[in-house]
Amino acid sequence: MDFKDYYATLGVERSATQDEVKRAYRKLARKYHPDVSKEPDAEARFKEVAEAYEALGDAERRAAYDDVGRRHADGQGFQPPPGWDSGFEFSGRDDGAQAFDHSDFFEALFGRRSAGAGGRAPRGARRQPAADHHAKVRIDLRDAYRGAQRTLALRVPQVDANGQVTLQLRQLEVNIPKGVRAGQHLRLAGQAGSQGGDGPAGDLYLEIEFEPHPLFRVDGRDVYLDLPVAPWEAALGASVHVPTPDGEVELNVPAGSKPGRRLRLKGLGLPSTPPGDLYVVLTLVLPPADAAPAQEAWRTLARHFADFNPRSALKP
Amino acid sequence: MNPIDASSPSAGTVLVEEHLQFSLVELGRACSAERDWLVALVQEGALTPSGAEPSDWRFEGSALRRARAAQRLSQDLDLNAAGAALVLDLLDEIDTLRARLRRIGAA
Repeated sequence: MDFKDYYATLGVERSATQDEVKRAYRKLARKYHPDVSKEPDAEARFKEVAEAYEALGDAERRAAYDDVGRRHADGQGFQPPPGWDSGFEFSGRDDGAQAFDHSDFFEALFGRRSAGAGGRAPRGARRQPAADHHAKVRIDLRDAYRGAQRTLALRVPQVDANGQVTLQLRQLEVNIPKGVRAGQHLRLAGQAGSQGGDGPAGDLYLEIEFEPHPLFRVDGRDVYLDLPVAPWEAALGASVHVPTPDGEVELNVPAGSKPGRRLRLKGLGLPSTPPGDLYVVLTLVLPPADAAPAQEAWRTLARHFADFNPRSALKP
Repeated sequence: MNPIDASSPSAGTVLVEEHLQFSLVELGRACSAERDWLVALVQEGALTPSGAEPSDWRFEGSALRRARAAQRLSQDLDLNAAGAALVLDLLDEIDTLRARLRRIGAA
């Protein structure tokens, strides 16, 4: 296990005041908050920043972290000395499932059970103990087109008879309804598992994400595809085979099409009421001109269009 | 970690955004939020249930995503209900603008 330099994560000196730590955290939290940020690695970055602040934003934890840190240079292998934390008592708050988002390093230092909001003292939203659980699931775009039955593996915290929390792998068969979109939720009634108390089992909410697809981009109900065409197909029109997430269709490329032209295949987006559309965006691909006959063909074309100036719009 | 069970195909599966409405209590359970916090979000206009009294409120399924985002924003950025509501509105506006950009082919 590597020692984590939480000061470096927040970009503050080891001598920073609690206020400086808080300011640094806030700034980075706004930048990388997954609900706000469009940075591709926002979620992972935010977790690092939040974990660093949980360790440093709380004076008790920071003192404990500094104590361990003095004996370990950054990046070196780290093993917490046995019983090292016996002198500390953490007033950590139980934060439900969120407590399982920490690195091994954090849990080795502060334990799983005490891993809570730390220095974060929310002003508005106070959590109540989680009865219902949430998880994200990634499905293929094709599953949303056709509906599917999938076996999902979830890691869920379980409390045993001694009050110890362990992660268990749980397999769940889920019916993916046709037409489900990214960001929507499935509720599985009574599937959150028992909370160790007497209450009824909570519900499990699954947030849908799509597996990134090499060809298709999804925007709500609509789906986009870049379609490469040859110059003569764009100029003269052509009938071409186009893949859709649900099989091939034949598409007429109109004569005189320009690259970037968008052709709408109505109703071939995600199934829904009303269904989304599939947008085909034309891109121009030039055949290679690496052999004499091909070069001659291009020259013939050039002679024919001697008056054509592609840069006429650039003239002052 | 061992598999502990393989449940039968989930008969009780519901697509929240299309087939579910929440009462105030149910929404609180679904996103582990306290009643007062959700009421504050309604007062800020961030959530718009139908019904006059809190006990009559019915939230559309789409409120789940919004309430959870507000919850996360509040906790992680120490926002109050007014601040979280403002961020949600701005995010909606950004989404609308991005969609418009895509429609005119600029993205």
